[in-house]
Amino acid sequence: MTWDIVVIGGGAGGLSAALAAHEEDVRILVLEREAVLGGILNQCIHNGFGLHEFEEDLTGPEYADRFIAAFYEKGIDVYLGTTVMNMTKTKEGFSLEAFDKKAGKLAIEARAVILSSGCYERTRGQIRIPGERPAGVMTAGSAQRYLNIEGYLVGKEVFILGSGDIGLIMARRMTLEGANVKGVAEIMPHSNGLTRNIAQCLEDFDIPLYLSHTVTDIRGVDRLEGITIEEVDKDFRVIEGTKKDFAVDCLLLSVGLIPDTMVLESLDVKMHPKTKGPLVDHNFHTNVEGLFACGNALHVHDLVDDVTEESRRAARCAKEYVHGKIDKDGRKVEIHAGEGISYTVPSALTMSSFDRPVRCAFRVDRKADRAVFRLTQNNETIATKKARFVAPAEMEHVELGPKDLKDTTSPITLTMEVV
Amino acid sequence: MYDYLIIGAGICGTLIARDLSRYEAKTVVVDKESDVGNHATLANSAIVHSGHDPLEGTLKAKFAVEGNRLYHTLAKELDIPLRKTGGFLLANRQDDAKGLETLYRRAVANGVDSPSLLDASTAKEREPMLHDDIVAALDLPSTMVTYPWEVAIAAMQNAMKNGAALRLNYEVASIKRTEEGFVVTSADGDSLRTKVVINAAGTFADTIASMVEREVPYRITPSRGEYYVLDKLVDGFVERVLYPLPNNNGKGVLVVPQVHGNILLGPTNTHQTDKENVANHAEDLDKIKRDAARMAKDIPFDMTIRTFAGIRASSTYEDFYIEPSKEVPGFYHVAGIDSPGLTAAPAIAEHVVGKLLKVRESYPKKSSFDPYRRKKKAFHTLSDDEQRRLIEADPAHAYIVCKCERVTAAEVKAAVQGPLGSATVKGVKKRARAGSGLCQGGYCESEVLKVIAEVTGKKPHEIDYYRKNTPILKEETKVKR
Repeated sequence: MTWDIVVIGGGAGGLSAALAAHEEDVRILVLEREAVLGGILNQCIHNGFGLHEFEEDLTGPEYADRFIAAFYEKGIDVYLGTTVMNMTKTKEGFSLEAFDKKAGKLAIEARAVILSSGCYERTRGQIRIPGERPAGVMTAGSAQRYLNIEGYLVGKEVFILGSGDIGLIMARRMTLEGANVKGVAEIMPHSNGLTRNIAQCLEDFDIPLYLSHTVTDIRGVDRLEGITIEEVDKDFRVIEGTKKDFAVDCLLLSVGLIPDTMVLESLDVKMHPKTKGPLVDHNFHTNVEGLFACGNALHVHDLVDDVTEESRRAARCAKEYVHGKIDKDGRKVEIHAGEGISYTVPSALTMSSFDRPVRCAFRVDRKADRAVFRLTQNNETIATKKARFVAPAEMEHVELGPKDLKDTTSPITLTMEVV
Repeated sequence: MYDYLIIGAGICGTLIARDLSRYEAKTVVVDKESDVGNHATLANSAIVHSGHDPLEGTLKAKFAVEGNRLYHTLAKELDIPLRKTGGFLLANRQDDAKGLETLYRRAVANGVDSPSLLDASTAKEREPMLHDDIVAALDLPSTMVTYPWEVAIAAMQNAMKNGAALRLNYEVASIKRTEEGFVVTSADGDSLRTKVVINAAGTFADTIASMVEREVPYRITPSRGEYYVLDKLVDGFVERVLYPLPNNNGKGVLVVPQVHGNILLGPTNTHQTDKENVANHAEDLDKIKRDAARMAKDIPFDMTIRTFAGIRASSTYEDFYIEPSKEVPGFYHVAGIDSPGLTAAPAIAEHVVGKLLKVRESYPKKSSFDPYRRKKKAFHTLSDDEQRRLIEADPAHAYIVCKCERVTAAEVKAAVQGPLGSATVKGVKKRARAGSGLCQGGYCESEVLKVIAEVTGKKPHEIDYYRKNTPILKEETKVKR
């Protein structure tokens, strides 16, 4: 049998997408590689989830549970413990090759696929930290999984490189578990995490944050014994005479997340050079007919509430596609990231189905207390939005409707003016 | 009482053990590490060189050319991967063009298979990503790459199948001469008696030799080589191993396609006193970027998944030092095995067993010797039917542990249990590739720990990363204290 929509990944994105796409005559299947639904939310046992979605302060598992309960209530089909290994294009849609811990090898046919497979963590190898390679150096998310899911502490004397949210959360979590967190180093002159996490995870526990600092040496043959951090200038060059040594048995890395799109390897999907996720139009449609993407597999989000909201919209588009209402091809109006903007999602409007306002997500490339976001076409302003306290770590949104467009061919450019 | 005791389970020690196991002699290999192939064999360029580079008349030249040919037999017998990449040695605009001709003549003199000089346009036609400044190339079609530690694992597995013994975690602390040979004692106080000792201890060869010799004829001068590893998605960026014109500091920084599709960039050549410290250094890594960029354009360094370093067991003796001890009968040196050591190793083993030890004069051939070792094919490379059959036999085949490298729980189990299995995270990585991919174990490490724990009946926090006492997890938290 052919499913109308197959959702890859049963985390926040996949659950929201499946629930939004669910209706009587649409056959949906969710594939989840873990034994339970919920994805990364299951290991995020801290609070701060759902402030927008539910106007409540929930933990990760609580947030997930709301969706999981609704999901099972609706009786949507799901395979747990199932890893999709490959995907190919067929006449009708897609053929997926998956392995299921219990059911063995599965061949799954789908008319449309929603990729909501989340993201993976940048590793030590990708950022080239010099030094030895002992046990005790790992990504913050791995440490979080070990601690919150498996029940193991990965170190007692801890240093954290990178002020991404997971790093900050783990600084607090390891402290509560009895470890001594000696500091967090961030190579940028500003933090990469949410402001509330700096306050609640570092300041409340007197954990020092070393801005414009990076790890320049790692020592220890068997187990990590110590690290060195040094200050860097604005071009990230090490400033002589700023070495600080820390005796630690654990170095956690919170140095970025990258969309996990490995399953797309045999499809010719165009990728966004900045987000490292697929390029999509305003329907979350990739350049491959019938393939949609949302959540952290599309671009990395800071709030799960945004993942939910985005995945719902992606699912509605996938459903419209299954019903034959939207088309991938046709005239496009590109959306360019101009001065002050690092990327936008979507990166284009497909004009044949651009019939209602869309919410365009983007990130700024610098901090500003007051900013004006400006959308232009042929150097003519078509929309503006004022914002306060913008930062690269916090995703921004702007609405764009068919009526805003001055013409239906010229590209749109989004810029930020610091005022 | 052993007839032969080999110190060091690297590429040379394991291949010598395998060749010794062809005879009715008792052989044991000892190594201080918890696994075979943990030092130079673990961290090198993985190239089976053509033999173009060493000076004519040296053991390095002779054994590299012979070793290159022996790898074809070895691949068939031991089922090890061999990728016939070929190699280009490149002359840049700023280089002395005569250098290429000198190397061409040297390659011919060394007996390298079919070397030829190519003009820039022919070379660029075959390797479109070559740098615009490349003016000529020396084509070395017999250049190949292999998977070095698998060669050592396979050689040792085959040697063991044919009766050889292996003692890991056996750090040699003293060697005493006796009337019948030697007593080799470990740091833990274990003793092994042997008639002959073969010193293949890599960077520690001089330390070992000094336990029996008053004047060791060489000193090991460790030299560090650092590397970048690019993800296998870059497969096809170049087809061949790219060499620059060598200078007096070795072969230089290379671009090396690997058997699994990754690309290695390196090595540097930096002397250091420490025999084991494999730390990376910013200066070395910067040098790799600079030097590699002279050979190929737009190298996708953004696809880097790892950096590492290895230590060459170079010595004060220019050539390989493969000699009987001048002071102590029954003690043999296989020392100073730096580049092209991996290439030369099968020929070194043949030479040591045949010419140096003259084993056939003392021991009969073993009629039961089986030269073959078979490795199970990677699950993800099998046909749909084969996959389904395996899953039916053991559902662990349908449990994907490492998504990046497509490794199943059944393969992790086999890496732990198989002959010469390893119950460490790194041992599993070496055997099954779990954790070798893009996420570097970010997801699969905890799964690997669980599978190892299940197979060994231990708890995840008792599983070592690589050596004894290197657990990844510090302590259990959900327990009563």
